Amino acid sequence: MKVVKLHESRSHEWLVFGRDEERPSKIIDTNQYMIKTTNHAIMLDPGGIELFSAMLAAVVHHVPVQQITHLFASHQDPDIISSLGLWDKTLPHAELHAPWLWEGFLRHFGCNSIKYNPLPDEGKSIRLDEVELQFIPAHYMHSSGNFSVYDPQAKILMSGDIGAALLPDGAPLFVEDFDAHVDKMRLFHQRWMPSNRAKKDWIRRVRQLDIKYMAPQHGAIFRDRDVVRFLDWLDELEVGTGIA
Amino acid sequence: MQSGPRNSAHFFINAATVAAELSVVLTEAKNISLEAMNAKALVARAGDNVRTFKPITDFMVELANDTIWLVKEINREALTLSRNSLADLHSADAHERFKKAQERSKTAAFGDTLDSIAQEASNRHHQQTMQLRRHMRKLFELLDEIESRMLAANVVTATSRLEAATAADSYQASLEGIVVKLEKAANRIKHIASKCRHSLER
Repeated sequence: MKVVKLHESRSHEWLVFGRDEERPSKIIDTNQYMIKTTNHAIMLDPGGIELFSAMLAAVVHHVPVQQITHLFASHQDPDIISSLGLWDKTLPHAELHAPWLWEGFLRHFGCNSIKYNPLPDEGKSIRLDEVELQFIPAHYMHSSGNFSVYDPQAKILMSGDIGAALLPDGAPLFVEDFDAHVDKMRLFHQRWMPSNRAKKDWIRRVRQLDIKYMAPQHGAIFRDRDVVRFLDWLDELEVGTGIA
Repeated sequence: MQSGPRNSAHFFINAATVAAELSVVLTEAKNISLEAMNAKALVARAGDNVRTFKPITDFMVELANDTIWLVKEINREALTLSRNSLADLHSADAHERFKKAQERSKTAAFGDTLDSIAQEASNRHHQQTMQLRRHMRKLFELLDEIESRMLAANVVTATSRLEAATAADSYQASLEGIVVKLEKAANRIKHIASKCRHSLER
């Protein structure tokens, strides 16, 4: 599992875990994120059950497992959070922040000990030590209950499936050529994102944020100017094309 | 008797299948109960002519009631077993995944923070396996019991045949009919119980 530090400051670190070489074939590659503060750590979209061992092994290179006190699931998909049942055994005192809409569904993955903190539709903020994290509504992008996470200090937006690209094994972790990257994202966004109205709403919210990195759950991370280019590209893109 | 499942992955399906097959036994047991009622009515009508048949009808009623109770117990136990074997499968999977994480994090700065969690997963798996074995033993005991009841039924049908043969002509055919039905039901139940046992031993 490849681990890259996205941000490091006195108050906290952002780490991205991905490109696992031992990932079983036919399983979509995913990026997992962890924010480590002085006394806490939160894992954002900790991944599917098949990735659990690799993730857990990678995480303890950076924090004692007991320091992980929070989990976040942007939505309900198995590649996002089907490992929940195992995290539940690993971190029985942790809290899961996830859309209220999915509580009854996510509990099917096993959530007996972890506390489920339902995120209201309008979003909310939490504070881990000195770090504020904002859960930004991203409903219907693609899931009907969906959130992005924004860290105003690090200026990082974890965008979940928005900005996702289907890349070949060994692809770079950051977008290096935006124009070439567009081809890897187009179909995904057109087919997975169901609503142009929802898309516009999310773009409107996100344009108000100061973003250095936009970090999706699949594919490559956008830096600086590529973030704005992505928003402009998505703004123009017709989505919900599954209905012929 | 086997002390534990050879393959939990199939076992929870087999245990659920056993529960489903037992519904047939329940139907047969209810048929025995019905035949027992017929026999009782017949014995009451015939009076002294078939007096010796009365203990047999009593046995049939007892057999039907016991079988119904046993089937319900086996059904409950089989479903518990199916659930347990699935939990065992999950705990084995969790145990393996924690072990794998431990192996992969040998050089990690905080790798030792996984030790107690991995140990806990191992303990949980051990407990699940023990529980599974306990339920399996119990289920086999219940299947033993139902099979032994059916063997007893076979002995009684042999005796009943003799009794039916000595009854007055007007009652002979009816009594023989009851005996045949009892025998058929007992054999069918024995066959299903044996099939269930084989399913669990697979």
